Order: sequence, then C-alpha cells, then structure tokens
Amino acid sequence: MDARSPLSDASDGILASRAADGDPAAFEALMRRYGPMLRAYAVKVLGSNDEADDVVQESFINAWNHVAELADVTVVRSWLMRLVSNKAIERLRRRKYHRDIADWDAPGPARNTPERQVEASMQMRALSDALGRLPAEQRECWVLKEVGGLAYADIAEELDLPVSTVRGLLSRARRALLKDMEEWR
Amino acid sequence: MAMRDDQEGDVGPEEVLDGLDPEFLDGHSVEELSDYLDSGRSPRNPDIENSPGCLIALDALGRLRSATWAMLEAEAAEDRGRDDKWIKNVMDNISREARAGRDIPITSVDPEVRLTVTEGSVRGLIRAAGDGVGGAIVGRVRLDGDVTVPGEPISIDVTASGVFGRNLLELAREMRAVIGASLREHTELNVTSIDVTIQDVHTQRTASTEVPR
Repeated sequence: MDARSPLSDASDGILASRAADGDPAAFEALMRRYGPMLRAYAVKVLGSNDEADDVVQESFINAWNHVAELADVTVVRSWLMRLVSNKAIERLRRRKYHRDIADWDAPGPARNTPERQVEASMQMRALSDALGRLPAEQRECWVLKEVGGLAYADIAEELDLPVSTVRGLLSRARRALLKDMEEWR
Repeated sequence: MAMRDDQEGDVGPEEVLDGLDPEFLDGHSVEELSDYLDSGRSPRNPDIENSPGCLIALDALGRLRSATWAMLEAEAAEDRGRDDKWIKNVMDNISREARAGRDIPITSVDPEVRLTVTEGSVRGLIRAAGDGVGGAIVGRVRLDGDVTVPGEPISIDVTASGVFGRNLLELAREMRAVIGASLREHTELNVTSIDVTIQDVHTQRTASTEVPR
C-alpha cells in the first residue's frame, strides 16, 4: 500500500473497524500512522532501538489478533500504546531476571544517529539526553507513567517492585528532569 | 515557619525548582502536584492554586510533559523516512484466515461439488465497491441473516466515512447502489436491504495524518 493510500485519510475508528473485519490494507494504514510514534515510545522505555523494533512488531501482530475485541474503536491509539507497554514490560522483566542472575549489563541509552539529531531541536535533544542519563529503572518507570499512562500500582505489579519503590523512582526521575529542564531556559 | 513567611511573595522559579523542597511548595510534594496535574487540576484545589511555589512547579511539570510528547513526535517524524521492512514483517506474520467468517454456499454445476465463498471475501467485495464511490471510505460491514443457507433473506449493514463537502445523503445512496450491483453480480445472496450509515466525515489530505503539524 502506498503511504498516500486514500485510507490514510480515514479516522482511526474506520480503520480499526475494517481491520476487525479482516482488511489488511486498513491495518497497514494504522501501522503507518502509529508505528513511528510507538517505536519512539518503546525506545524510551527500553533504551534500545533493536528491542524497540521487535516490541512494536510483536505488538502489532497482537493488535491484529485482538482488534475485533476492541469495544471502542475510537481509542485505538491508547489501546496500541497499552499493547506496546505490555510487550516492553515483558522485555524489562526478562532483562531484570538476567540482571539478577548474572549481574548483566543493561544496554546503554539509545543514541540517535547523527542525521536524526540534525532535525531534532536543541530542547528535544536535551530532554532525550536527560532521559538517557537517568538510571534505567527511573527511566523505565517515568516513561511508562508519563507516556504510557500506567498507574503506579500497575508499574509496581508489572515490574515486581513495591509501590513505594516505584513512587521513589518516579520522584527522583521527575526531580532530575525538572532540574535539567530549567537549565535549558 | 517565620523563615517561610519571609520568603513568601518573592519565591522564584530557581528556588522552587532547584530543590523542589516542600518548604517552597507550601507543604505539598512534587508527587502530589504531579497527581493533581494528571487529574486535569480537577476538582480544583485552592490550597495548591493559591500557592506561588506550587504554580511554578505545576507549570514546570506541564512543560516537561508537553516537551516529552513533542520529543516523541519529533523522533517519530524522523523515523517515517525509514524503510517499510518492519511493516512487511508484520504483514507476513498476521493470519488473514482468522477473519474469514462464515462459509457462504454458491451453486455448483456439479451437484456433487460443494462450493463456498467466505463471509470475509464478501465483506472485501462490499468494501471494494463502496470505496469505489468517490469520497467514500467503507468502515465496518455486517451481513445479518443466515448466509450459510441459500436463499435466506440477508440484510447488509455498512458504516462509512464521507469526504468533507460531499452531500452525504447522495453519497450513501450511491454506495447502496454500487454495493447492491456488486453483490448481485458476484454472489447469490438474497439481499433484502442495504443500510449505509455515514458515521464519519474525513478531509482529503495531500499527505496522511502521520505528518506532524
């Protein structure tokens, strides 16, 4: 399908209804519309480009299998975000397991390639860098909460952490980011 | 307490945001303010809304949030130039048979041979016919009635989106006509009614919604 297929004009609701009816072209239009944003989100949670690609692809396969069960087709975007959150959390849990048994080094924060950085404004880059400097657990919690919209209790449950720990991690992340942000001004 | 009173009125962003100390937030924590922001600042908390320190922190939290989304959008926009390999990967891994639906019998010249088409393929036929009407995009398609029994009355229910500026009544009428003609030509369904509900209006963009404003 061409990126400018007439379907790219359709609302999320129309595309999701068609996908639920089994129309691959409509599903592809949804992937083009939200894939890049979901990937950017997954990169922020996971701090890794390769894993983010896998997570987004797995999430869309999952989405195709369950789109017919989606009660309100107008909330496609947040539904997709939630699917990506779940897949990303699976990765984090697996990583944590390895970290526990082998003192495994988590991959460093994803770096944008130089040509990508040219386009990004200074402030976006500064925020991206600030996020990258956060300890992994702080970054994970903060992105899941602020972007993924997950509740404290959900993050705690999914990552096997006490709620008080999640609150503490979020609080430290918030302070660090707010402080950095003040320096851009 | 006396110290705090001295500072009230001339508390600046640097002081508030440097330590994010509850001292400058009139006893509120940043976490509490973040939750308050999440709730859309509703119900209104006058204690927070009347505290200069809290307002500075709320403003900063709000800016951090919009900057985060702007950052993701910017990164997503850069990403759009990437190749379509990932889309192909997904499309290769999804099962199209899952949505085939019911089997619809069609007459065979050989009485020993049972021929059917899938409900999914008839939906596809309806989508193709409806989409062929200028300015129309078909949404959901339903075939109501027992399609597995030849001759049973079947009603077709279709939702659609019409392009902005088009007469929607006329659009629905045209869609009904082409869908009916297509079903008569390609199936043996006893279609008793075709309902087209225009539930959305879309604009014709030169590019898709993906391109950020």
